[in-house]
Amino acid sequence: MSTAAQADPAAPAGSASPLAHRRPLGDRVFQILAAAAGVLVLVILALIAISTSQQASSWFSTEGWKIFTVDWNPATNSFGAMSFVYGTVITAAIAIILSVPVSVAVALLLTEVVPQRWARPIVYVVDLLAVVPSVVWGLWGILVFAPWLFHIYTSIASGVKGIPVLDALFGQPVSGASFFTCGIILAFMITPIVTSLSREVFATVPAIDKEGAYALGATRLEMIRGAVWPHSQGGVVGAVLLGLGRAMGETIAAALVIGSSPVITSHLFAAGYDMPAVIANQFGEASGEFRAALIGLGVLLFVITIVVNLIARGVVERSARRKRGA
Amino acid sequence: MAAMDQPAVDLREPAGWRRSKNRIATSLMVLAFVFVLIPLGFVLFTVIAKGASAISWSFLTGGPIPPNVVPIGIGGMWPAIYGTLVITGLAAVIAVPLGVLGAIYVNEYGGRGALAQVVRFMSDVMTGVPSIVMGLFIFSIWVLHFGYSGLAGAFALACLMLPVVIRSSEEMLKLVPDPLREASYALGATKSRVTLTVVLPAAIGGIVSGALLAIARAAGETAPLLFTILTVTATNANVFKGANTALSTQIFTNATQPYLGAQARAWGAALTLIAIAFILMIVARLVTARFTRYSR
Amino acid sequence: MRLRYRQQVTAAGVSVVALALTLGACSSSSSSSPSGGSSASGGASSSSGGSNLSGTLNGSGSTFQLTFQQEAIAAFKSAQPNLTVNYGGGGSGKGRTDLAAGTVNFAGSDSPIPSDEASSFQGKTILYFPVIIGPITMAYNLSGVSNLKLSPATIAGIFSGKIKTWNDPAIKADNSGANLPSTAITLAVRSDSSGTTQNFTEFLVDATGSAWSLGSSSTIKWPSSARAASGNPGVAQVVKSTPGAIGYVDYSTAKASGLTFASVKNKDGSFIAPSPESATAAADAVALKPDLTFAAVWQGGANAYPITYQSWDLVNAKQPTAADAANLKAYLGYLLGDGQKLLPQIGLAPLPSSLDQKAVAQLDKITS
Repeated sequence: MSTAAQADPAAPAGSASPLAHRRPLGDRVFQILAAAAGVLVLVILALIAISTSQQASSWFSTEGWKIFTVDWNPATNSFGAMSFVYGTVITAAIAIILSVPVSVAVALLLTEVVPQRWARPIVYVVDLLAVVPSVVWGLWGILVFAPWLFHIYTSIASGVKGIPVLDALFGQPVSGASFFTCGIILAFMITPIVTSLSREVFATVPAIDKEGAYALGATRLEMIRGAVWPHSQGGVVGAVLLGLGRAMGETIAAALVIGSSPVITSHLFAAGYDMPAVIANQFGEASGEFRAALIGLGVLLFVITIVVNLIARGVVERSARRKRGA
Repeated sequence: MAAMDQPAVDLREPAGWRRSKNRIATSLMVLAFVFVLIPLGFVLFTVIAKGASAISWSFLTGGPIPPNVVPIGIGGMWPAIYGTLVITGLAAVIAVPLGVLGAIYVNEYGGRGALAQVVRFMSDVMTGVPSIVMGLFIFSIWVLHFGYSGLAGAFALACLMLPVVIRSSEEMLKLVPDPLREASYALGATKSRVTLTVVLPAAIGGIVSGALLAIARAAGETAPLLFTILTVTATNANVFKGANTALSTQIFTNATQPYLGAQARAWGAALTLIAIAFILMIVARLVTARFTRYSR
Repeated sequence: MRLRYRQQVTAAGVSVVALALTLGACSSSSSSSPSGGSSASGGASSSSGGSNLSGTLNGSGSTFQLTFQQEAIAAFKSAQPNLTVNYGGGGSGKGRTDLAAGTVNFAGSDSPIPSDEASSFQGKTILYFPVIIGPITMAYNLSGVSNLKLSPATIAGIFSGKIKTWNDPAIKADNSGANLPSTAITLAVRSDSSGTTQNFTEFLVDATGSAWSLGSSSTIKWPSSARAASGNPGVAQVVKSTPGAIGYVDYSTAKASGLTFASVKNKDGSFIAPSPESATAAADAVALKPDLTFAAVWQGGANAYPITYQSWDLVNAKQPTAADAANLKAYLGYLLGDGQKLLPQIGLAPLPSSLDQKAVAQLDKITS
């Protein structure tokens, strides 16, 4: 007997149902809207890249390869950017190293350890950390935190005097404002975002995986390692990348606590500088090539962010297995 | 006799090293939380100690913002509070829907396609653009042609928020299990309907979380606003036209002044900003909890 | 169940849109403040004396002027209630950029337009209106020493890092008979670029010549042991909290922070303490160019304080509308007239009357 589908002349041969060749207008419109929103990011980024490169072109053309030197002295018209690149990378690294273990631990605390009733207040505490404005972090940092840290720095510095590697890392504090202080403050600032997103990720682990681990006699730690972590790896990495982006781009807090000294030094307690901070501090009076140089630092930071993200993604893709749902 | 005296089954946690490791891990997690509490307590203590004296009804609702040299008690911060609320609100209205839509595209429609990969990667890159560069960007693209306005400030903040919202929403959408989608398709739903009525509500808790964090950050940002809104002393109700001001810029300009009145106003404004943002976050979380389909 | 959810979402969405529209509608119907640089609304009488001017004036630039501008704006409101003035600070460079771009009506600048910016002002005549004069103090923190005297060469030595302790022979030579301890000198300098730094280093270049090697600019590469802080109040804070510190802080900030400052040897050879009077004395003796630019540092005059600097308000001679021209004339006229009376209480010096008169006369050059 013939089926309706085979006898239907309106349906092209081979299609399974009469509906296959007709998507509702609303559905198509929605897809276009979504695609447009995604492309918007690329458009904005392209505009930023183009407009900043344009304004920075005089710096690139005047300095050429000298932009990779350390000498930044507007009075003598030399604008070498390496000290800022170094500062940005170092402070972001310190921030990530300090913040990620703490954030992941707090997120695990919220989802695995703490009873539901107590989870809400702890979430609010983390939120409170997020609503402190960056300028308040900077002001508190330079007025209260840095002087207090200075005492700690001097004790550590005198303690490690003479020990080869540690001496190079932890000597020479000038005042509380330094790479390390900036890194700590940035760590405070990125903790809420990494914690919050990690918690959301941990919360969607299927209960069945966790219960299975417990049923096999696992301790909580072993359950986390075996059931929660493989499921959440990708999400946590995404959260860390967001935190990294914020750490590299934070402006006002860094400008206030980093010490404003354009040098490359291994001493983490020495005053330093990073790209957003120098732009914030020196833009108000800059003109001509100086201004182009500052905007060029933005372009440079762009490039560095791309490189860092490429590396991070490469590392992650190689070691992660993608798991979608259960 | 022997059978009755056999020891009961040991239902405690496993003995020895495994148990200790577990205990250590738990205490480390609690320690981590304490590490989070300490700076928070410090900062809040400083802000409250320095700013509480400035708070009063006239400070919160009065205006105009007085000159730096004027002592505390005259004028108020309402123009800045209004500015922060409308500019951040406008930025959120621009960035959050666009961000969620973008995340939907990347996760639901794009998959492993080239465009989606590029959008995902570039969103990560965009989170690293310094806030001051965003401000400069909007200055050269918008302010040079249309002048200083709250709208320009909102654009700058929206550019800051957009990549964060996209990436965090995308991570949340990724976590929605596939069987949910497949079941909806099996019932004959179109892709947009599946996304809007099944996937989005499933991920809404996380999406709201990410959006709130982005908004909280935007409310506290100073650098992008310095290049886009100038400053005013009286409330400018029109956010689309004319210079405006915000709490974050007021905190910065007042705190970098030597006069006691300015200092008190700065810390009072800081306390106000933290309080407003925190209350809004709590309200948003409570409201979302009512809408969340799948309980955590 | 699903229907109710969808209705909830739609309702939420509609209400958000409605709220946004309402906000936009009722805000555009209330005070319509046009963006800076474009036409001002309302009736503008041709005389600057009437109180019926309306519109908005936007300014940005020098933070040295910020305190004065804020006071003047607040006081000006009673003279012209419908004319709103906004001053955004942000640095002299930013102000000049804004003026060249047309996003502000006037810019505050601590120095004349430098040569590398001249191209952005092609074809426009810029008028300079000097508005304030102020001393830069050498603020220090040294217990037991209250009347420190410093000569320019000594200052150059200190700030280039060559003079490292307070009992250095050079400082002793300036202060015969004073008991100077052997405390190490800590330099307090600016982390942000500033007109204060620019004028201070210009003084060092003018007064000491080759003895000062770090150049003159808004941003200087100070010795690595220097402590940098943001803004005049930041430097003041470092000086106040660090025994043995010395920094350059403008007079109004130094006074407000309760700092001790040194007397500096001027061109005529006397050690003069910074004060509004000694600053005005310095401005009296300047070589005034026809466009009213000058440099007040290192000027002659028996009572002149040698590290005095100045700030101008820059405007386009040709304004886009008559209303803009009238508004600017009114506000600048106020700054040069009654506004000058506000200066002493904030620790700044009023312009010498001859300079003030010339500036007021230049107001007529603003046309539309």
